[in-house]
Amino acid sequence: MNISGLSFNALPPIDLPFRFFISAPILVLLCAGIILFSGEAMWLSRWHPSTLAVTHGFTLGFITMVMMGALLQLLPVIGGIGIAKPRLIATSCHGLFTLGTLSLMANFLWPNAWLLVISFLLLSLGLGIYIAALAWVLVKKLSQGDAIIGFRFAITALVIVFFIGLLLLARTQAGFYEWGWPTFLVEKLSTKALTDGHAIWGLVGWVGLLIISVSFQVIPMFHVAPSFPTIISRYLPAIIFLILLGMFVDIAITLNIIVLLHGVYAISLFLVIAKRKRKVPDNTIRYWLLAATSLLLFNGFYFFPEAYLTQEILTSKTLILAAFFIYFYLVSVIQGMLLKILPFLSYTHLQQRCLSHFSAMQFIPHMHEFLQKKHGLWLFNFHCFTGIVLLMTIMMPSIYWLLSIMLFVEFCWLLKLMYQAITLYYKTLNKIKLSVNE
Amino acid sequence: MTSIPEYMTAKHRECDDVFSEAEAAVAQENWSLALDKWQCFAQELTKHFEQEEGKLFPEFEQATGMTSGPTQVMRMEHQQMRALVQDLDNALAAKNKDEYLGLSETLMVMMQQHNMKEEMMLYPMMDQHLSDGEQIIEQFKAD
Repeated sequence: MNISGLSFNALPPIDLPFRFFISAPILVLLCAGIILFSGEAMWLSRWHPSTLAVTHGFTLGFITMVMMGALLQLLPVIGGIGIAKPRLIATSCHGLFTLGTLSLMANFLWPNAWLLVISFLLLSLGLGIYIAALAWVLVKKLSQGDAIIGFRFAITALVIVFFIGLLLLARTQAGFYEWGWPTFLVEKLSTKALTDGHAIWGLVGWVGLLIISVSFQVIPMFHVAPSFPTIISRYLPAIIFLILLGMFVDIAITLNIIVLLHGVYAISLFLVIAKRKRKVPDNTIRYWLLAATSLLLFNGFYFFPEAYLTQEILTSKTLILAAFFIYFYLVSVIQGMLLKILPFLSYTHLQQRCLSHFSAMQFIPHMHEFLQKKHGLWLFNFHCFTGIVLLMTIMMPSIYWLLSIMLFVEFCWLLKLMYQAITLYYKTLNKIKLSVNE
Repeated sequence: MTSIPEYMTAKHRECDDVFSEAEAAVAQENWSLALDKWQCFAQELTKHFEQEEGKLFPEFEQATGMTSGPTQVMRMEHQQMRALVQDLDNALAAKNKDEYLGLSETLMVMMQQHNMKEEMMLYPMMDQHLSDGEQIIEQFKAD
C-alpha cells in the first residue's frame, strides 16, 4: 500500500462540488423551456433537433454534471486522496463544461459551424482536463475497493463516449468525407451505428458503471446492508465494459446481454436492500427501489414479443426505453444520492472545521436540519409524477406542456433544497468563525 | 488467530447492527427497547475507542513515527462522535423522536466515513507495521 500523499482530510472546498450540483437543475430548467417552445414535433423522432438538445441537456447538463461534482468529493473518501489543485481544476472544468454543454445544445437547435467549433473546444477542454485529473488519482493504488475498479472503467467509457461524440460532430460538417479518414470509419460505422454506440457507451458505460460501482459502496455502508455478492461487485463492471466493446461487432446481441445484466443487477439491488438492517424510512432507499423496479420493467418491455405490441407503442419503443433508463433509473439514483450528499457534505465540512475547535461543534445542525425528510419525500413524489407524465407525453405528444411544467416544478424544488442546505451551511460557518474569533 | 483488520472491522459491523436496532425502535417509539439497544451500542463504542486510543494507536505511532498523522485525526473524530452520542442520550431521555432520528443519521454518516478510513487504510497499515498484531487482538478478545 502506498501511503505517501495519503490524507484523511483531503476534502475539496465545499463550493467546488456545490457549483456542479447547483448548475445541474438549472440546465434541466432550460430543457423544460426547450420542451415548452418546441411543441409536439420533438416527440416524433429521436433525431429532432430539440430532442437532441434536451437529451444532451439531461445527460451532460444534469447527469454528468452531478457525477463530476460527486466524484470530486467521493474520491478522497473512498480512495484517500483527492485531485491535485482542486480549485483550479474544478473551476476551469466546471466553466468550460457548462459553456460547452450550452453551446452544444444551441448547436443542435441552430446548427452553425461556429457553435460547433466552440462546443467542440469547450467540451474537449472541460472533459479532457477533468479526465486527466481523475486518471492521475485513479492510477494510484491507494485502496483496493471494488468501487475504485469500477470508477476506472467508467472513466475509460467516458473517453470512448467523448471520441465517438467528436466523430459524430465532425461528420455533420460538409467535406468531412474528403478529410482522408481510414475507410472503415466511413464505411463500416454508419452514423446510426455511431449514434447508438455514443448513447449506449454514455448511458451504460459512463453513468451506469459509475452508479453501479458507487452502489456497491454506499448501500451496504449507509443502510447497514450486507455487501453485494462478490461475483457481482468484483466482476459486473468489468463484464459490462467488455461486452460493451462487443457492440462494434454485433449490436443486437450486445444489447440483449447488457439488458439482462442490468436485470441481474436490479435483482441483487432488491436482495441487498431487503436484507438491510437499518429499516428507518428513507427517501434514498425509495429512489433505489424505484430505480431497481424500472430496470426490471425495462427488461420486461425490452424482451416483450413485438407481435403483441400496438403500432403506436412499437414506434415509440426506443423513446420509452430511453425514458425508463434515463429518467426512472439514472436520474432517480442521482436524485436519491443528492438527498444524502447535500446534507452530508454540509455537515462533514463543518465537522472537519471543528476538529481543532471542539467547542464549536454545538453550532452544527444535524443532517435532517440541512435537508428535511418531508422535503426529500416531496422531491421523490414530484419525480415519480414527472416520470409518468414523460411516458404519457411520448404516447400523447399534445400534453408536452404538462411535462414542461412538471420538470420546472421538480427541478425548482431540487434547487430550493440545495439553496437551503448551502445557506444553513454558511450561517453555521459564520457562527463557528465568530466563536473561535477567526 | 485473528488479524487487526478482521477483528476491528467485525466490531464496526456489530456496532452498526445494534445501532440500527436502537434507531428502528425509536422510529416505532418503542422507548424501552430503544434504551436497551442504545446503551448496548454506547458501551460497545466506548470499548472500541478505548482499544484504539489506549493500545492500537500508540503502538502504530511508535512503530511508524507518525504521531500527528492519521491517528491524530481519528482521535479528534472519536471526540466528536462522543459529543454526538451525548446529544443522542439527551434526545432519547426526552423521547424526542425527530431529534433522535436527525442525530442518528448524522452519527451514522460520521461513523461510516470514519470506519472507511480505518478499514481501507489505517487497519491495513497497522497490519503491515505491527508485528504483534494478532497477540494484541487475542488480548482484546480476552478482555
